[in-house]
Amino acid sequence: MNDADNPSPLQNPFIDVPQNAARRLVDRITKAAALGGVLLTISILAIIFIVLIHGSWMALRQIGWHFFTTQAWNPVPGRDKYGVLSFLYGTGVTTFLALLFGVPLSIGTAVFITRIAPRWLAGPVSFLVELLAAIPSIAYGLWGCFVMSPWLQNYLEPVIYDALRHIAIIPVGKYPSGRIEYFPANLVRGGPSGSDFLAGGLILTIMILPIITAITRDVLQQFPAEIEQGAYGLGATWWQTTRLALAYCRAGIFGAIMLGMARAIGETMAVIMVIGNTDHISASLFAGGQTMSGVLANEFMEADHPIYLSAMFYVALVLMLSSLVTNVIARGLLAKIQTERKAA
Amino acid sequence: MSAQQIATTENPFAGRSPGRRWISRGAMALCTFATAVALAVLFVVLAYIGIRGIEYMTPAFFTNLPLQSPEGMRNCIIGTVILVGLASVLGVPLGMLCGIYMAEYAGRGWFTYLTQLVMDLLAGTPTILLGVIAWQLVVVPMHQQSGWSGALALAFIMVPIVARASEEMLRLVPHPHREASAGLGASKSQTLFMVILPAAKAGIATGIMLAIARVAGETAPLLFTALGNDQAVYNPSEPYPSLTLKIWQYSQSAELAWRHQAWTAVLVLVAMVLVFTAAVRFAVRGRKVHVV
Repeated sequence: MNDADNPSPLQNPFIDVPQNAARRLVDRITKAAALGGVLLTISILAIIFIVLIHGSWMALRQIGWHFFTTQAWNPVPGRDKYGVLSFLYGTGVTTFLALLFGVPLSIGTAVFITRIAPRWLAGPVSFLVELLAAIPSIAYGLWGCFVMSPWLQNYLEPVIYDALRHIAIIPVGKYPSGRIEYFPANLVRGGPSGSDFLAGGLILTIMILPIITAITRDVLQQFPAEIEQGAYGLGATWWQTTRLALAYCRAGIFGAIMLGMARAIGETMAVIMVIGNTDHISASLFAGGQTMSGVLANEFMEADHPIYLSAMFYVALVLMLSSLVTNVIARGLLAKIQTERKAA
Repeated sequence: MSAQQIATTENPFAGRSPGRRWISRGAMALCTFATAVALAVLFVVLAYIGIRGIEYMTPAFFTNLPLQSPEGMRNCIIGTVILVGLASVLGVPLGMLCGIYMAEYAGRGWFTYLTQLVMDLLAGTPTILLGVIAWQLVVVPMHQQSGWSGALALAFIMVPIVARASEEMLRLVPHPHREASAGLGASKSQTLFMVILPAAKAGIATGIMLAIARVAGETAPLLFTALGNDQAVYNPSEPYPSLTLKIWQYSQSAELAWRHQAWTAVLVLVAMVLVFTAAVRFAVRGRKVHVV
C-alpha cells in the first residue's frame, strides 16, 4: 500500500493485444477473493461490536451510566446490583502497577540491547526477552499462583508491611470504622496476603515487558548516527547521548508503552490466578481485587438470568472500549514511525 | 532537548556538571541491571516450570485420560492439537488473503488505512472477548459448548497475526521480480501464484507457525467455548478437551495430585510452544518478523 515500495504499478507493457478471457477471469477472481478476505475481517470487528452492544442492550437501558458509579456487584436475583467500578479499579490499579515497574525495566533493557551490549550479546538477549512473550499466560498464572504469591506473602510483603504500616503522613480519608486513612500506611493495610493487587501488577509487569522492550528497541535503532556522533563530538557522555536518543524517539516509546498497557488491560488468566478475585476497592496493595477480564472469566458462564448476562456483556463492552482507545492511541503514535522507517 | 538545540553555538554538553561521567556510568549500570532482572525472571519462571514439571511427570500423563487411574491428559494434548488445527484451517487462509490484499492490491486511500487499523485493533482485542463473541455466534445457536466454537475463537486471534506476517513477507519480495514476470507475459494472478508467493513462502510459513504457537497457549477464549472434556471425545460438535483448560481447572483445585498434573501439563505446553517459537526464530534470525 505504500507506493514508495512499488514505484511502478504492475502492468504488462508488452502484450497489449486481447488477452485470454480465462486469464482475466482468474485475475478478477483472485483480486475479489483477496478483497473478500479483507471485507470479512473488517466485518469480524463490526460483529464484535454488534454482539457486545446487542448483548448489553438490556443493561445499557436499565443500568446506564450508574454502571460506572456503582461499586457493588451482587447478582442475586431480586437484590441484584451491577456496577463495573470495582473491576475498572482493579484493571486500572494492576495496569498502573505493571507500567510503574515494567516501563523502566523495559526501556532499560531496550537501551542495553541497542546501546550497551556488544553485538554478540545483543542478539541473544533480544531473543531471550522475546521468548518471555512466547510463554502462555496460563503458565505465568500457574507460576504466579504457586510460586510468586507464597513468596510475596512470606518474604516481600512482610518487609514492605513493616516498613510502611506506621508511616502516616498525609490523611486521605476515613475508613468506614471512623479511623482516619493515612498515606502511605493505607497502601499496606490488612497485611501480607500474596493474592492481591501487587501480585496482579507484578505478573502483568512480566507480561508487558517483552512487548515494550521489543518495540522500544526497534524505535531506538532509528536514532540517527549523525546526531549520536555529533553529540559525542561535543563531548556528551554516554548517558547524555542516550537521553537525546530517548527524547528523539519519545513518540515511538510512548506507542510501545501504550501497546504494553493494552496488553495489560486485556490480560486475563495470569491475573485472575493471583489477584484474589473479590470485588473490593481498596487503596491497599495487599487487598484482593478483580479486573474486568477477570470477572468475565469467572462469572460469564454463571450468568443465569437475563440482566446478569446483559451486565456481563456490559463489562465486556467497557473492556473492549478501554482496550480499543489504548490501541488506537498506540497505533497512532507508532504509525508515524513506521512510515518513516518504510521510507528510509 | 532536541536536534535544534545542538545547532546553537553554545555547547550544551561540555563542562556542565563535573559529576556527569559518574551519572553516565550509573545510568549504564542501571540499564544493565534492568536487563539482568528481565532475564532472571525468564530464568526463574522456566526453571520452576522445568523442575516441577519433570518432578511430577509420569508415563501415564501421556497415555491415560483424566478420570482414569493413574490419571493422565492424553485427550487434552490431542484436543489442543486438533483445536489449533481447526483454528488454522479457518484462520490461516483468511489471514493470508488479507495479507495478499494489503501487499499486492491495496492503494493509498482510506480503505487501506481502515484495513490496517482493523488489523491492528483485532490484534489488540482482549482474547477473552473473542471467546464471548464465539460463544454468542456458535454456542448459543447450538445450545452447547463445542470444539467448533473454540476453534472459531482461536481463528479470530490468528487472522491478524497471519495477515501481518504475510503482508510483510510479500513486501520483501523485490519489485523487479514482479516486473520481470509481467515482462514475460504473466498475468497479475500468475505472477502472484507462480512468482511472489513461492518467493515468500518460507516467511509466510514462519508467520503461520508463530500464530499457531501463540494460540496453542490460549486459555481465556476457550473458557466459554471449548469448555473442556474428560473423555477422549474429538468430535468438534461436543465440548472439547484442551490442555490449557485442564491446567486452569486443576490449578483451582485443592487436590495436590491435580496441582502436580497441572505443573506437568504446563511443562508440556511451554515445551511445545517454546521449541516451536525458538526453532522458527532461529530459522529466520536476521530477518524481520513482528510477533509482539
